[in-house]
Amino acid sequence: MSDKITVENLSYFHARKTPYEIKALDGIDLNIQSGTVTGLIGHTGSGKSTLVQMFNGLLRPYEGRVLLDGADIWAKPKDINKIRFRVGLVMQYPEYQLFEETIYKDIAYGPKNMGLSDDEIRERVLEAADFVGLDRELLDKSPFDLSGGQKRRAAIAGIIAMRPELLILDEPAAGLDPRGRDAIFNNIVEYQKKSGSTVLIVSHSMEDMARYCDRLIVMSGAKILLEGECREIFTRADELSAVGLDVPQITRLMLALKEKGIELDTSVFTVEEALEEILRLYQDK
Amino acid sequence: MAETFIKVENLSYLYDADDGNTRKALKDLSFEINKGEFVAILGHNGSGKSTLAKLLNIILTPTEGKIFVGGKDVTDQNMSDEDILALRKTVGMVFQNPDNQLVATIVEDDVAFGPENLGVSSPDIRKRVDEVLGYVGMTEYAKHEPHRLSGGQKQRVAIAGVMAMMPECIIFDESTAMLDPLGRKDVMEAIERLNRDKGITVIMITHYMDEAARADRVIVLDDGRLILDGTPSEVFEEEERLRECGLAIPQCTELIHKLRAEGISLEGECVSLEDCVALIERSLKKQ
Repeated sequence: MSDKITVENLSYFHARKTPYEIKALDGIDLNIQSGTVTGLIGHTGSGKSTLVQMFNGLLRPYEGRVLLDGADIWAKPKDINKIRFRVGLVMQYPEYQLFEETIYKDIAYGPKNMGLSDDEIRERVLEAADFVGLDRELLDKSPFDLSGGQKRRAAIAGIIAMRPELLILDEPAAGLDPRGRDAIFNNIVEYQKKSGSTVLIVSHSMEDMARYCDRLIVMSGAKILLEGECREIFTRADELSAVGLDVPQITRLMLALKEKGIELDTSVFTVEEALEEILRLYQDK
Repeated sequence: MAETFIKVENLSYLYDADDGNTRKALKDLSFEINKGEFVAILGHNGSGKSTLAKLLNIILTPTEGKIFVGGKDVTDQNMSDEDILALRKTVGMVFQNPDNQLVATIVEDDVAFGPENLGVSSPDIRKRVDEVLGYVGMTEYAKHEPHRLSGGQKQRVAIAGVMAMMPECIIFDESTAMLDPLGRKDVMEAIERLNRDKGITVIMITHYMDEAARADRVIVLDDGRLILDGTPSEVFEEEERLRECGLAIPQCTELIHKLRAEGISLEGECVSLEDCVALIERSLKKQ
C-alpha cells in the first residue's frame, strides 16, 4: 500500500528565537498509508495539534519535509492553498467556526473557494450533508438555529464538501453523548469506505480509538512514542500510563486480572473479546 | 438523619423553539438532594440536564413547579435581588468551557473576584484565596496568567473561584467534557475531595459513565423526564433502559452483565473497575 503522508525528520518550534521558545515537534519520522483510518493520541501539549497543522500546510516545518503522495507540499509555497483542498482539517469544536448566514452557504464555502461551478457546489453540499447525517431541511437555516450536535455535523460537512484525499479530525466527538459519538464516528468510517480517502482522527478516548481505527500513533514530548496496530499499542499499558494516557477499560481489567495470577490473553480491548477470553477460563476448569 | 438541601417539586420548563412553538425541556420533575450528597445527573445531549442546572441556580425561572434550597422557596416571584445573590452564593456553578469562566489576568485575582464582589475584607480574601488554591492543587500557579494554563488547570482555577465564595453546594455542568484524561482525573479528584472533606453538596452533570460511577447517587434524565434514580450500582443494572436513551454503561460493568447472562455466578457490585476485577477473581478461584 502506498503512503498518503510521509513525514521526514520534521521539527518545529513555537515562539522561535524568543525566550519562550518551545520545541513542539522533535525530529519526527512517520508515514500514514492510503485508505486507512489512523488514530493520533497524546496528552495536551504533546505536539499532536501542531503535527496535524503541518499536514495541510497551516504551519511550515523549520526542519524536515512533509510529503503528500510522495511530493513535498512546500515544493511551491505559492501553491500551498491547493494542498489545503486535498488535506481537509476539521479543528476542535469546529461549530464555533460557522460564520455564514445559512448552513448551505457555510458548507459551500470550501467548494466555492476551489472555483467550482454552482451545480458542482450544490452536488457537493448535498453529498456532504448526507455523509454527516445532516437533514437537508436544515440547510436553509441559520447556524444559530441548530443544536450543538447539528452544528458539529455541519462544520464537518464543510470540509468533506472539498472531497479531501486526507481528512483530519481533531477530537470530532468531544462533548457529545455516547449516541452522538457513535453516530459521528460511524459516519466518518462510512465516509472513508465510500470515498476511499485516508482518515486521521485525533482523540483522547482510547475506547473510541480501539473501535474505529486501524492503526495508532502515540505522541509524547514532541516525539512519536509508539506506532502500530491498536492491539500492539494497548498491551503497552505501562508506557501509555507513564505519559498520562489511558488504555481502554477492558484492557485495564485484563491486566489487573493477570496481576492477580490469572493466566489470560491481555491483548483484548473490546467487551466481546473479553467475554470470550474469560468464558474460556471457566471452560478450561 | 440526612437533611434535605434541595427539593424540586413538579418542575417544568417551557422554552420557545425556533419554529414558533413552545417545547418542554423539563417535564414534571420531582426529587430531593440531601446535604453533603454527591449526585450525578446523566442524560444525552438535549435531555434537559443543563436546563435543570440553570434552574437550580435561578439563571432560569421555572414555568411550573417549585425549587426549595435550604428550605427556602427560590422560585418565589417576590424574591429580592439580595435573595438571588444569597442563593448564588449558596449554590455555585462551574461550567463546561474553561475559557469562558476566567475573568482576571492573574490566577489569584480571578479567584478573588467572587469574594471581592461579596464584600469580603481584604485580609479575609487573601486567606480564602490561599486556602482554595491549595485545595485544588494550584498554589504554585497563583501568579500565573490563566490563558497559559492547560484546560484542567483552568477548570481547577474556576472551581477555586467558586469555592472562595464558600458555597454549600456546587453544580458542575459537564465541567470535564473539554479536558484530556489527565485534566479530567485532576478535576474529578478535586470534586471528590471538596465533597468528602468539606461536606460540600455536589451535583455533577456528565455523560461520562465512569464519572457517574463515583457519585453516591445517579439521576438519569431522558427527554426532560426523570427515568432512573438510585445508587450507581442500581442504575447501571438498567442497561437496556440506559441504552434506549443513548447512554452506555461502563465497559467493565457491561462485561459482568454479559458473563452473568452466560450463567456465571458473579454476586456483588460491579460499578468500578476494582469491583469487577474482584468479582471475576473470586469466582474463578472458587471453581
